[in-house]
Amino acid sequence: MSLRLNDLVVSHAGKVLVETGQLDFEPGKPVTIVGESGSGKSLLAHAIMGTLPHNLKAQGSLAVDDQVYDVSDQANRRRLWGRTMSLLPQEPVLALDPTMRTREQVAEGAPTFRTDKQGARRAADALLASLGLKHASAAFPHTLSGGMAQRVAFAAATIGGAPVLIADEPSKGLDQRARAELAELLRSHIKSGGILLTITHDLDLARELGGEVLVMKDAHVVEKGAAGEVLANPVHPYTRRLLAAEPSRWRHQWMRDLSEGTERADGRHGGSIESSGTLLVSGTGLGKSFGDQELFTDLSIEVRAGERVALSGPSGSGKTTLGNVLLRLLPPDTGTVQHSELLQRGRLQKLYQDPALAFPGRVPLADSLGDVVRRHGLDHARLEELMGSLRLAPELLHRRPGQISGGELQRIAIIRSMLLEPVLVFADEPTSRLDLITQEETMMCLMEQVDKLDCALVLVTHDDALAAAVTTRSIALGAPSAVIEPELELAAQ
Amino acid sequence: MVSLTTKPMTQATTQPGSSAGRTLHPALGTTARVLGRRAFQAAGVVVLVSTACFAMVQSLPGDIAFRIAAGRYGYDQVTAASADSVRAELGLDQPAWLQFLDWLGGLVSLNLGNSLVTGASVAGELGLNLASSLQLAAVALILALMVGTTAGALAAARPGGILDRLTTVWVSVTRALPPFLLGLVLILLFAVHLGVLPAAGHGEAKNIVLPAATLAVGLSGLFARVTRDTMAQIRQSDYVRFADTKGLGSWLVFVRHVIRNTGVTLIAYVGVQVLVLIEGVVVVESLFAWPGLGHALVHAIFWRDIPMIQAAALALALLVVAMNTLVDLATAAVDPRPRHKEAVL
Amino acid sequence: MTNAVAMQELLPASAGDSKRPKWLANRSATQLVSAGLLAVLVIFAVAGPLIWPGHAVQDLSRFLEAPGAGEPLGRDHLGRSVIARLAHATQLSLVMSVLCVSAALLFGSLAGIAAAWRGGWIDSVLHGLSEVFIALPALLVVLVVSAIANGDLWTLCLGLALAQWVEYFRMVRARSGLVLAGPAVEAAGLFQLGPVHVIRRHLLPELRPLLTTMATFGVGSSILALSTLGFVGIGVRPPTPELGLMITEAFPFYHEAPWMALAPVLVLTTILIGLLGLRSKESPA
Repeated sequence: MSLRLNDLVVSHAGKVLVETGQLDFEPGKPVTIVGESGSGKSLLAHAIMGTLPHNLKAQGSLAVDDQVYDVSDQANRRRLWGRTMSLLPQEPVLALDPTMRTREQVAEGAPTFRTDKQGARRAADALLASLGLKHASAAFPHTLSGGMAQRVAFAAATIGGAPVLIADEPSKGLDQRARAELAELLRSHIKSGGILLTITHDLDLARELGGEVLVMKDAHVVEKGAAGEVLANPVHPYTRRLLAAEPSRWRHQWMRDLSEGTERADGRHGGSIESSGTLLVSGTGLGKSFGDQELFTDLSIEVRAGERVALSGPSGSGKTTLGNVLLRLLPPDTGTVQHSELLQRGRLQKLYQDPALAFPGRVPLADSLGDVVRRHGLDHARLEELMGSLRLAPELLHRRPGQISGGELQRIAIIRSMLLEPVLVFADEPTSRLDLITQEETMMCLMEQVDKLDCALVLVTHDDALAAAVTTRSIALGAPSAVIEPELELAAQ
Repeated sequence: MVSLTTKPMTQATTQPGSSAGRTLHPALGTTARVLGRRAFQAAGVVVLVSTACFAMVQSLPGDIAFRIAAGRYGYDQVTAASADSVRAELGLDQPAWLQFLDWLGGLVSLNLGNSLVTGASVAGELGLNLASSLQLAAVALILALMVGTTAGALAAARPGGILDRLTTVWVSVTRALPPFLLGLVLILLFAVHLGVLPAAGHGEAKNIVLPAATLAVGLSGLFARVTRDTMAQIRQSDYVRFADTKGLGSWLVFVRHVIRNTGVTLIAYVGVQVLVLIEGVVVVESLFAWPGLGHALVHAIFWRDIPMIQAAALALALLVVAMNTLVDLATAAVDPRPRHKEAVL
Repeated sequence: MTNAVAMQELLPASAGDSKRPKWLANRSATQLVSAGLLAVLVIFAVAGPLIWPGHAVQDLSRFLEAPGAGEPLGRDHLGRSVIARLAHATQLSLVMSVLCVSAALLFGSLAGIAAAWRGGWIDSVLHGLSEVFIALPALLVVLVVSAIANGDLWTLCLGLALAQWVEYFRMVRARSGLVLAGPAVEAAGLFQLGPVHVIRRHLLPELRPLLTTMATFGVGSSILALSTLGFVGIGVRPPTPELGLMITEAFPFYHEAPWMALAPVLVLTTILIGLLGLRSKESPA
């Protein structure tokens, strides 16, 4: 089995979106393409598969063993789907038919499905069981977690026995545990002698997969080599910039020297830290559940002036809910939350995961921000000054939230929250939708302001590396209904 | 106009054990919730319609007792004495609120009263009307679904193609042509000019052709539109593309995923169209003198036959509730997702 | 699997750099033609009754007179001027439908915002009421209400408004509920921006386009309902000219005087086509 892509060019209206020379894929050696959104990496995968959007033009050839396919004719590879090549989709929750049980969705990919439906269903059950999903074969997709849906999609994509597996951003939306499981699945495909091409912006996933790494930027592969080499000692300036943007490698002025946090042993910390700051928020005996699902119980948390605290945990663990309880946006089922007087008059602010939802969507940003300036009798110059120091063009304010990029909009949200010189900023996954480099830029903007105002920060994140780089203390929430982790019990005392 | 709003759902659990258990409960819960909501609607409709009819009695010019007496004994037999006895018998000399309670009481005991015009029992006449209306509505709905979904599916196969454009024109024409005009056109064409079909009447099979066609044409445009848009959207969906790359073949993908999911939307849409259908029934029955509920209602209003107005209006409104209940239950059966969507009409 | 997001990032925005004035920039050809048709009809409805005032004057000697110089549409079976009646009927339809829709929109929206904002018993009562009203076909509501009051103009109007408020209420309540529960309003709360800001920047901009669309269709369906009632003989009372009524009255004379029936049909369909076209989502010309 061999796969070779020759001189691929994908273009739209004369603009080249992907251009590569010769790419070889061989069994047992995974190939991972990394790069940021817009670099063309996803299009490369779809060009190989023959699933490009119709308005794009593709040229080049694809050799599968001895058979050569012209890439410009998408239909010629249709008969390879499922048997020779298959695609592991991004966002598996959306890739599963909401009205069909998982067993059926896996079984229909089996080669024998047309002739022997019962046999195909048995094969599907067996495959699901081998992936630890025995109980889920009769379930509907909406009852599955992201990680489970990803495994179902993996089963459906591989049951046809295709030696070539293309995974398009497979870790999107998965937490660390689910990502580790995913990497394990992908490696199992390699072990069984398959060809694996993974498209991702997730450098950790690329490291876990090993093999060969290709770095794409602006339609071109700028660097390629062994994963261990490229991701440790990059040569191309872009790759260097990309790697330097990983939170674990950050070196910034505003970062608090790690050695100062005296009790900090393992990156996580109990709540009994000695702090000289004024008590801003104190929650005691907090508990909250949704339906029959208990998110946290008897939890006590204090946040003091100038502190930087992380709320971390896997998805669904109640981080955001806990944050909203602490902000008194949501009443707890049990316990009380007290706020210091310092937080009154808008000096407690929040940043949102999706900044586009945090602004009124149909009015220009200047109007939204103007209302804040007017309401609090601020000087308009302060807004302009902040725009300047966060490196944003003033013209951006004349647009609507949907008309500017996520990174820029998050920076405008930071500016808005800084207008009132807050004492405490609560940031709910503020960069989880951003690329690495944009994430670093955005966090820099936020932390420079936090540092300057010496305001306290509570950062909700599922990314331990980010938490370690930005905060000095971490409160970890466990999986839902799981046993509360020791740190939490410490915090509760 | 339809818009669907999604209420926040409780977070999906990651605990495998509970997820298997969860698939059962929502189904039962959904059925109970659907029936509860519709029962409330039915009760509300009854109260509202009968209150309106009571208000009608109170505001009627002339003496209602006199009219009832006339209805019973014939106009030439009515005397002041017989009107008085009717008044006393029906409690019309009591204060209004007591009369209203009586009025509702009569309804609860399923006594719909007698027609003020014919004197016959309203319930008896209503049975026949209901049967003819149901017949007309069913034929029209089936016809519209067959024509509309086929046209929509063909149009969706090639968005922007000739069939798609024809469907768009068809949809626009049916939306700009109100049912009574369409009915007139059909009468002129088939009954007056060509003379192949009867314009009015009831009893023979060919009598239903024109009224049902009038109703079906308007509905079919709407169904074609929804089928086309839904199918085009589903063909672009992630799960259909994934099914493609599983190597299923386009026919199997169409049968197993596209049709199935279009059906879910379409069934829900039938619920939305029930109101349009019932309004159409009222108009078309009057136009073609089809002896159904709508025809009876319009006649009753013309003659101020209040018991008949009440009964016919109630029957039509409850028909809407009943059809919507069926649609809800069908949707719950084909779509396993918890029902957090609420159709806004 | 979808490249939609990636594609959006890749491709430069093509819209928004049109040189045309703002109010024209996003209009399609269909919308412009529709607006033109409607404008002609509105002018007819406003100026027509002034030019041809005597819509009630009968002259049986001019029974079914054919169209001529002074009477572009001839005279009807009672010798009344068809164009004068048509102009009055058009005016009546437009005024009544706009009145009904305004009343329904105003009440429905206010109730919807109140229910979404205050919640509690206000929401329960209004939502319960709306649950009942959506089960009632609009025509049924109008029929029953007009039956109570013998087909006066204002009861017809009330009936139509009563039949339509629920659409606005449910849309506004659902949308406002989403907006008010959303992060943007939460953030506005953290900035202590108050209800005026929420209504002006969050609710109104979100609701306005939907309300405009619904009102456009609402005017169409009100005109349709009025003419349907007139057509079946339980709407506007006979001497008053009304489109549906005119169609019924003219139908028996279809062979002798087809213009008499066709004129109101033409006006009615033009209004409906115009209103539909105004909302067509075709790409800009």
